[in-house]
Amino acid sequence: MYKSIDDINEHIRDGSVRVVTAEEMPDIVDELGVSGALREVDVVTTGTFGAMCSSGAFLNFGHPEIPIRMEKMWLNNVEAYAGVAAVDCYLGATQESTTRGTDYGGAHVIEDLIAGRSVELHARAKGTDCYPRQSITNEFTLSDLNQAIMVNPRNSYQCYNAATNMGDHAVKTYMGYLLPGHRNITYSGAGALSPLPNDPTFSVIGSGTPIFLGGANGTVVGEGTQHSLSAGFGTLMTTGDMKEMSTDYIRAATMTGYGVTMYVGMGVPIPLLNEEIVKHTAVRDEDLVTSIVDYGTPVRDRPVVREVTYAELKSGVVEIDGEEIRTSPLSSYKKAREIAGELKGRIEAGKFTMALATRPINATKRNKPMAEHGVVRRVSEMMVGTFVTITGEESVKEAANRLLKGNTNHLPVIDSENRLIGIVTTFDISKAFARDEEDQTVSEIMTRSVITALPDEPVDLAARRLQLNNIGALVVTDTSKKVLGMLNSYDLGDLVGERWHK
Amino acid sequence: MKLMVTFDSDGVQEANIANAILASGVPVNVERAQIDGDDGWTLLDVKDEEAERFIGALKHPGVTVKIQRDAVSHNLTECVDCGLCISICQKKVFSFDDSWQLQVDSERCVLCGRCVMYCPQRALSLQK
Repeated sequence: MYKSIDDINEHIRDGSVRVVTAEEMPDIVDELGVSGALREVDVVTTGTFGAMCSSGAFLNFGHPEIPIRMEKMWLNNVEAYAGVAAVDCYLGATQESTTRGTDYGGAHVIEDLIAGRSVELHARAKGTDCYPRQSITNEFTLSDLNQAIMVNPRNSYQCYNAATNMGDHAVKTYMGYLLPGHRNITYSGAGALSPLPNDPTFSVIGSGTPIFLGGANGTVVGEGTQHSLSAGFGTLMTTGDMKEMSTDYIRAATMTGYGVTMYVGMGVPIPLLNEEIVKHTAVRDEDLVTSIVDYGTPVRDRPVVREVTYAELKSGVVEIDGEEIRTSPLSSYKKAREIAGELKGRIEAGKFTMALATRPINATKRNKPMAEHGVVRRVSEMMVGTFVTITGEESVKEAANRLLKGNTNHLPVIDSENRLIGIVTTFDISKAFARDEEDQTVSEIMTRSVITALPDEPVDLAARRLQLNNIGALVVTDTSKKVLGMLNSYDLGDLVGERWHK
Repeated sequence: MKLMVTFDSDGVQEANIANAILASGVPVNVERAQIDGDDGWTLLDVKDEEAERFIGALKHPGVTVKIQRDAVSHNLTECVDCGLCISICQKKVFSFDDSWQLQVDSERCVLCGRCVMYCPQRALSLQK
């Protein structure tokens, strides 16, 4: 049996349409079978509400009496990209305020506009014959804008990895706060209620598919950026009219220590055209597998701790190494349900009809990592291989001599097998002398927990460790703690404090 | 239940907590404390049925005892029920009910403030 999109739209128009949410569908298929479910149900609605950093909006302000070609622009002190004609911009959700930092950003401007609050525009221009004005400052609201069109380059991940932290200090990530020693797990997405798991082959979702976006009736533009369907990480580029949106479904947020992001509510109705589609919408959380990834390791290919199903994640507790670890969603399942329900209501009320995609989404695409043409520099290339050391039994006075001789501020302390057991600095030595403790041994005054680097580590990671610990040098050791050299902040130049300028 | 005990400059001079434990025979769990020469506070956990006896024994000039209720303020307008707070709170203050709505059990809170700092919607605050 097959159904056409026209059959379903006819049912929507005459009020006989049968719509269920993706949460209800598996039991219906179990009870009626695939062909029975196809006969009984016309549309399955999905929903998700989570942090979607890759979001933003095109705004058009209209021309003021003395025209301006806005070249640099700020909205409530959040910079928007003004390089799109004269009075237009693209405001990115994650752009942060020049005055309030991570507490306020593009997402907050978008939420303020949707809430009807007024926003201050400030723009600068060089001034031309046709656009003579050089600056403008003006208050505006959403209704003053000609267009406010949300365009989200990458929404609604098919699947996203869960996060934990196997390291020994807490990390603040876009997956939230991760406690050291894998004491919590965070995950994102509504699992089997999410849009893409219900159409994993993109047999109905494509360019032009009508969707629910932030409360508006929106549209799928096409594949999203970083779309990687063959790896199970499909994404969608979506659009919708901000003037129809609601703060019930669009919320600015700050991941502390990471930055601004935007929670986007999104839902896709899946028209049931054939049995294949019905089978896909019968997906359960038990069927959806993702990886728990160690965010304590700050490299692209982070180690996978274990595989896990959404059913396990949603249960609130997942086992790692025999320990029960509590989980947190970052997305709201309650809101995802609301969205699937709201979409169902709109279809039943005849306010939302189905359409076939005008162009399919590439199902074979795989995301590529950045091919860095510069070489990633390693600690071993930047470290100083000649250094002085001392043993714990030697005196503080001897340590002072050694520092002077080595012309350094840092003296690694080693045992009889050349293994690192501590460090003393010029500060430690000065302190000992000031307190008349120069007869003490080095082991009595040394710092035992030494911040170290490995020789094959990327130098950027070591530089960040220097900064986070506010220290001047790292001791470079091999895995058996044998000292190989010193990495000094003054040798790293721009790497510390600023991005690396070439 | 949790008791917030504050000391002024007189209150910090004596071993008031130890004396109250000895006098009342009530064991308490010190959840947090910050006390120096000028003033201080401590958060104590006592069994509900023993609280009255312990509070009585703690009565002393310079010592103020307040039963801690509603430590966590949960702004329902801002909260989107994402649940990020659930697993970062080691005291299990937060949980979901059957409809995935966030529930807050303030009784368990030790005022560490981590949930306040990491709530993406800034929907949580503490009442000290």
